[in-house]
Amino acid sequence: MTRAFFSGMRIHVKQFTVNAFDLSAVLLWPILYASIAYYLLDAKNDPQLLLSASLGAAVMTMWALVVLGSSGALENQRWLGTLELLVAAPVPFAVALAPITIARGVVGAYSLVATLAWGGLLFDVPLSIEAPVAFAVAVPMSALAIGMLGLMTAATFVIYRAAFHLGVAMQYPVWIVTGLLVPLSVLPAFVGPISWFLAPTWGFRAIRDAALGGDPWTDIGVCALLTVVYFVLAATGLRIFEQLARARATLRLT
Amino acid sequence: MNWLRVFFVGGLTSYRALFNWISPWVFLPVLVVYPLFQTLFFAYLGRFAEVESDEFFLVGNTFVAIAVTGFFGMGNAIANERRSQTLAPVLATPASRLALFLGRALPATVTGFLVAAVSFGLGALILRVEIGAAELARLAVAVLVSSFACTAFGMCLGALGLRGRNVGLFADSISGCLLLASGANVPLERLPDWLRTIGSGVPLMHGIEAARKIAAGSSLADSGRLLLVEGAIGCVYLVAGLVLLRVFEDLGRRTATLETF
Repeated sequence: MTRAFFSGMRIHVKQFTVNAFDLSAVLLWPILYASIAYYLLDAKNDPQLLLSASLGAAVMTMWALVVLGSSGALENQRWLGTLELLVAAPVPFAVALAPITIARGVVGAYSLVATLAWGGLLFDVPLSIEAPVAFAVAVPMSALAIGMLGLMTAATFVIYRAAFHLGVAMQYPVWIVTGLLVPLSVLPAFVGPISWFLAPTWGFRAIRDAALGGDPWTDIGVCALLTVVYFVLAATGLRIFEQLARARATLRLT
Repeated sequence: MNWLRVFFVGGLTSYRALFNWISPWVFLPVLVVYPLFQTLFFAYLGRFAEVESDEFFLVGNTFVAIAVTGFFGMGNAIANERRSQTLAPVLATPASRLALFLGRALPATVTGFLVAAVSFGLGALILRVEIGAAELARLAVAVLVSSFACTAFGMCLGALGLRGRNVGLFADSISGCLLLASGANVPLERLPDWLRTIGSGVPLMHGIEAARKIAAGSSLADSGRLLLVEGAIGCVYLVAGLVLLRVFEDLGRRTATLETF
């Protein structure tokens, strides 16, 4: 099972990075969102705020890649006719699927480099990292936790025929409620409690606190806890939805 | 008569077969939920940055929704012919290419208009933006002009689908750039000159500017010049799209690459 997971990770990271054209989108989108934030937030004249916006834009891309990757992966498998084979494989479906979503999160970490470089070169955003060790832990931990959230989301996508489109629709709502670019204080009060259950909230806080100063280790700990919870929920959900899809014979429907 | 049949019946048939988002299960998340939350996201970002009003972001992102429909709908309508292995039979017919491809553009334009209306209505309701009935009627004209321009631009993207494999990603990147360069989410005076120049050469910027003036109470005559420019940009891309389709079709025939992925 471990071998299946790690070879899956290796294959999917390679697959997502082999096409320069695909990779260009990974670099373009966070730069676009960061640029919009720079032009708007420039009015506040706060370099720390701009660095926070860079990090937020990078985590936005991580989530986008994960949710699009997990939803698109299922749809791709459907089109290729391999979804049934994956479901029928002796390895639990969650283990076959997890490398796809986590690899997307890992590739999303590229966007962190892109936004930081872009902000530093064009907008004079400071690039100092307060706690480099915590930062080095926070980034992969965030990718893992966000990837697992993607896995949990993918569990529900199994029974949805147009899974990719649901993934597309889930980008902005999560970006809003996790306070990546817009602080939760600006949003309606009911949004706060929702954000506690979502990995991008804690992943972003961990990376931001490591970069700007604060207590990143608590946020990293919450990321680790959420990773475990998401995996248990995803594995259970996948089992239930897999059975449902088998019973309704909808696995192959395109 | 045959030209009109190819235009209307062919266009509608192609739309029903190849417009990926026609099912309500797809239409709702992609063409209602996505643009609505996009509007909310930027409106809240604007509130936080204390830049511009909710109306500014509502109008801007309504037009971005039009762009997404036009770019993807039109771009994919042609690219999907290749995916579903129907491109060669379509291009083998003696039907007028103008009727064939313009017929595919019309439903995408109408869809863009509908998406904008729904997105704007729901966004205005949530953000509590109030716009008078007279302004709404004038806004509809601006939306229609931009829908046409975006669909024409989408036709150029669709033409690229005769040569390239991944039109979707390209359309996605262009629509992403327009979030910034069109002034949909950043006031134009805050953008650098080079970005404004790029934005002024593609659909949306003039349409959005006109719509914001209209929403603020100006008449169609006052914003007419901007709408004329937007329409003219659409016409240029329409001609470019039709030329590209012809050139790439010939190239695809000669190099036998029409059906390769």
